[in-house]
Amino acid sequence: MATFGSFSLLIALALAAYNLCAGGLALWLLATNRPARVAPERLAETARRAGIIGFLAISTAAFALIWAAFTNDFSIIYIAEHSNRALPGPYKFAALWSGQEGSLLLWGWLLGAFSFVLRLRHKTDVRLYAYAGTILAGIQVFFLAVLNFAVQPFALTPGPLPDDGAGLNALLQYPEMVIHPPMLYLGYVGFSVPFAFALAALMMRYPGEKWIRITRTWTLVTWMFLTIGVFLGMHWAYAVLGWGGYWAWDPVENASFMPWLTGTAFLHSVMMQEKKGLMKSWNIWLIFTTFLLTLLGTMLTRAGLVSSVHAFAKSSIGNWFASFMLIVFLVCLVVYLLRRDHLKSDRGIESLVSRESSFLFNNLVLLTACFVILWGTLFPILSEAVIGTKVTVGAPFYNNVAVPIGLFLLFLAGVGPLLPWRATSLRAVRRNFVAPCIALWLAVIVAFLLGANPWKGGTFSSGAFYALVALGLAAAVIVAVVSEFARGARAVARQTGSNLLISTWTLMRRNSRRYGGYIVHLGVVLVFVGLAGAAFNQTVESELALHQKMQIGPYTLECTGFTQDSNENYQSEYAVLNVWKNGQVQFQMTPEKRVYLASQQPQTMVAIHSVPGWDLYVVYEGANPDTNQPIIKAFLNPLVSWIWIGLVVMVLGVCFALVPSRKAAPNAATEVNA
Amino acid sequence: MNETQGLVASLMLLVAAFLYTFWPAGAAARQSEKTQLDYLLERKEQLEENLRDLNFEYRAGKYPEEDFLAQQKLLEQETAELLAEIAQLEQA
Repeated sequence: MATFGSFSLLIALALAAYNLCAGGLALWLLATNRPARVAPERLAETARRAGIIGFLAISTAAFALIWAAFTNDFSIIYIAEHSNRALPGPYKFAALWSGQEGSLLLWGWLLGAFSFVLRLRHKTDVRLYAYAGTILAGIQVFFLAVLNFAVQPFALTPGPLPDDGAGLNALLQYPEMVIHPPMLYLGYVGFSVPFAFALAALMMRYPGEKWIRITRTWTLVTWMFLTIGVFLGMHWAYAVLGWGGYWAWDPVENASFMPWLTGTAFLHSVMMQEKKGLMKSWNIWLIFTTFLLTLLGTMLTRAGLVSSVHAFAKSSIGNWFASFMLIVFLVCLVVYLLRRDHLKSDRGIESLVSRESSFLFNNLVLLTACFVILWGTLFPILSEAVIGTKVTVGAPFYNNVAVPIGLFLLFLAGVGPLLPWRATSLRAVRRNFVAPCIALWLAVIVAFLLGANPWKGGTFSSGAFYALVALGLAAAVIVAVVSEFARGARAVARQTGSNLLISTWTLMRRNSRRYGGYIVHLGVVLVFVGLAGAAFNQTVESELALHQKMQIGPYTLECTGFTQDSNENYQSEYAVLNVWKNGQVQFQMTPEKRVYLASQQPQTMVAIHSVPGWDLYVVYEGANPDTNQPIIKAFLNPLVSWIWIGLVVMVLGVCFALVPSRKAAPNAATEVNA
Repeated sequence: MNETQGLVASLMLLVAAFLYTFWPAGAAARQSEKTQLDYLLERKEQLEENLRDLNFEYRAGKYPEEDFLAQQKLLEQETAELLAEIAQLEQA
């Protein structure tokens, strides 16, 4: 398998290189109208075909590595280091991305898959797709060169073969890890496509904004995958690391969050370009930056440049990535400078009181957040380079800056939908804002009365204050978005005579993109509600003898057992806890600690009981060596489950936005088209 | 799969890739240059959509009448200029 895998990668590289060179030459011949022995269209077609078959070549390489994991082929050093015989099937599959070589192969394979789809759909706009396909081939050449010459997933084990492998990293032996990295990578890799189209459109001076429509689905799907990836990473950190939180401003977490921020900014501002031809240069640089940040994210995760619980690989490929990022930046800069006259907007933003200006603010805030996070993430590297000492930036730095920025974004998520396009008067704005403002103050009062008091105990808690503001804004945004649906549905109902429910559905179907976007906003609100709960977390730690109890919030935890278990993959110790509430046993929890046999790595398996109001989160911290009694740490984390519910709502919103809008009846088309 | 089998499989992949890439195809996909008229027609479509949006937002109560009329006039003027440009190109 190693031979076949290695050759497949080499063939894939040769095909990508041919695609790049032949595609580039064909486009140059077409652009300059120079005579050639081979028709440029024919040459471009061979380049396209090389790209298509290149996907087969890299797929066989990925298949070869997975096959080697499933057949315990320890002659391949990667399999010997990241798998073992007793590893369950899904985790053998996950071994593909558990190390640097495999995860880069996954990057390359996903890029191949995206490029494959793009090349099959080339008839949508032959010239634009040819440019974009050639740019993607350039990115493929880089990743395949790294895979062939720098990391080599099929390198052979030196000396005698081991009887068993070292096993998968214990932290990765968790069900979400089978889907989190592919989702994140689908997001990272996916941004290559809008990047390629944007650069292509600029290179060929594509007339008009149609390329944005062509790439809309790609961008939305990519953003959705990145969102899912980021949130699954949060949930994994919450359920596996056992510290009671889900986001620690770890460099690798930040690396996935930064392209999400710029990608979100792009999704909003590109609408202004599509509708009104505004902000063309801004959008081009947003998508360039997003792509560069995905490369940075991959580099941070896979090259081990920064210390992180999520960085599973250490190597010297940082130089490869840094060089490639520099090349990409220079190409973008040169193309921009040569073509910047093509990006002139016909007009500016008409009024500060408009949807356009809210998008502009949203962009500025998102980019500020991105810059702050980038600064904090790279500061240890920069400080080491400048003063020779690695200065780490902790969570308080990020929280001090990111929380107010996040709240302002939440505010804009409600303001944006209320403002119409172009311009309006302040009188109209005041009218649209009455209901959300009432909701804001009502929510603040209710939350305050329920205990969200920043001045509790005589001292001011900034966390509780921000949570109170977040809850108030969340209520305002929900009312703003719901009122948008209601206003639109009433207009449709007046026109069609149908009831409000059917009118709402008709409204949503007529402009699935807009109303899908509003559903995403509702999801974001729910996420903020969940995040606000963190200000009121409680925690208790105690050593429990048999039938001894501990109290947290409304729950009493009683230790009814402390036992051990083992299977061929790991040994485990766990406590059995009866959870009492209102004088009755409500349920049982079994927090666990495992030691994986192959790697001898320990792993915490947290027990979580989720209800809409809070999570009861219980960690077994091990047995006290003196008393042999279990030490239990319990957290009561209010509102956490709303973060995951928010994710589901966001994904549903994106899926709805992807459904093509239904045209209004011909006679109504000019009257009402939401 | 031993080394020899791996080499044979790789060779087969190489041959398949070569044949697929360079196999004589029918007519390669061609596309005429996008003209100024195509571009203007796209813009017209977008302006019509913007007008429909404006109309809907007014009916949904987001615009007071005077704001709506002012915006509608601007958009209609822009559309009229565009239509004139399109007509000129179509005649030429």
